[in-house]
Amino acid sequence: MKSFTRNLMAGAALAMAALASAPSFAAEQKTSPILGITSSALEEFGGRDGVRAWVESLFYYIMLDNRIAPIFREFGNVERQTFLNTQLEIMVLGGPNEYQGASMSAAHADLGITMSQFNAVVEAAYNACERNVIPYHSCNQLINALAPFTADIVTR
Amino acid sequence: MKGSKGSGARWIKGAAFAALSMVSSHSWAGVYDAGKVFLTGGVFTVDGGGGGGAVPWATITGYETRDGINGGVGFTYVSLPNYTLNFLGASVGFFDRFELSYMNTKLSTNLSNVDTVALVTSVLNLDTNLGLDPNGSNLHMETYGAKLRLFGDAVYTSDSFLPQTAIGAYYKVNSTKEFVRTLSAAKNKDYEIYAAFTKVFFRYSTLVNLTVRYTSANQIGLTGFGTCDGGHLNCENDKEFRMEFSAAYLLQKNFAIGGEWQQHGNNQKHKSVDVAGLLDTDASGQSLLTNGVGALVGGVVGATTLAASLTQNESDWYDVFAAYAPNKNYSITIAYLFLGDIAVAHEQNGLYLALHATF
Repeated sequence: MKSFTRNLMAGAALAMAALASAPSFAAEQKTSPILGITSSALEEFGGRDGVRAWVESLFYYIMLDNRIAPIFREFGNVERQTFLNTQLEIMVLGGPNEYQGASMSAAHADLGITMSQFNAVVEAAYNACERNVIPYHSCNQLINALAPFTADIVTR
Repeated sequence: MKGSKGSGARWIKGAAFAALSMVSSHSWAGVYDAGKVFLTGGVFTVDGGGGGGAVPWATITGYETRDGINGGVGFTYVSLPNYTLNFLGASVGFFDRFELSYMNTKLSTNLSNVDTVALVTSVLNLDTNLGLDPNGSNLHMETYGAKLRLFGDAVYTSDSFLPQTAIGAYYKVNSTKEFVRTLSAAKNKDYEIYAAFTKVFFRYSTLVNLTVRYTSANQIGLTGFGTCDGGHLNCENDKEFRMEFSAAYLLQKNFAIGGEWQQHGNNQKHKSVDVAGLLDTDASGQSLLTNGVGALVGGVVGATTLAASLTQNESDWYDVFAAYAPNKNYSITIAYLFLGDIAVAHEQNGLYLALHATF
């Protein structure tokens, strides 16, 4: 009887572990670009710390751009955005899925983002790569991985 | 006094204010748009539309997104061993969906054999108008273009093989009708239609484009359309499908290098320049032209060699290019062209320089 309980406990622990590897809060999935991205993409960004530094640069450039800064000022807490974007970018660059934010479509549904505003963020992304000395080719791996979210984000 | 101002003056003021606000940047900002990412509208093609150097792409010209209008003007200069070309044109993109373009093309020849024919014709005072000038003959063409994006997004649908797809048409009017006829072309004005498929592969920072064009053009229409036998007889102007391919590798977000291939027909292969009987030989193998040349320039140009040198040929076009957009208001494209045989001149390889200013 004891061994049965122990087995049950082990089973439950295993189930918990399984849950942890595919967390219920993961509201967004990795994208699947047709030709994939380079396997060293995350490394080329400087790993987790590199991605975090890149996201900080990204928001630096976003907040300097009058076309898009007001949206982020009004709807997004930049510190929280930086935290969630770091998780999102680590995920799409081939790292683990630790993203705790809402899905891309849910997060942008009510914002009425235009193509111009979306492209402005892409420009900020390239500027951030240059600022953080991430090669253009590596930067394109991230653009490649994020591009499939375009339709979810641009709703107008 | 107040009453004498009248409603007329107020109306004029109102109209003036309305006109002013039409051109003021504030009002214009509603439609004007430059939100597209660098170079994704393509540069300035020799036909006027957006694309590579010679190949029209499925991308819509200008930096507008689906919310606005953008466009520009462009100038292209091409220097070949026997030809100089100047292209001046403009193109406008509407809502990243539709594009209108215009191109004015002038080709100046530097061909001693054709100049000699012109000289003989003028000296012999023949009343046939060959459209030639002893001091160098010119060809002139105007191209009107329209393009419609059907579906697909070349840039952002990275999770699908579906390319951006567009169809387009050009109407080309060659105003040097006599010269084109002398080059044994059947028509001096005609239309072309094409379908273009464009895709950016970010994985490799590369843009790939395939275009299929339905046309009967000789040298993109600069030397007319279709062909005739001597004396403008047995004319044929059958259109066919021709392939065009572009690939561009992005070294930076605003700097690309690449190459193009454009399949050409060879309607005028082995066709001599149609000089209205000047080359017809009599029993002794002498023609009006060879006699004339013999009298004029003697041994300087072998008269028989001259007649043989007036045989035409056409080759596929190839080029390698570098395009640089320092900002969204202008781009510079430098290319080296491998155009092969053009009309009576061989091995026409040379430099291409294009400037495109966008608003």
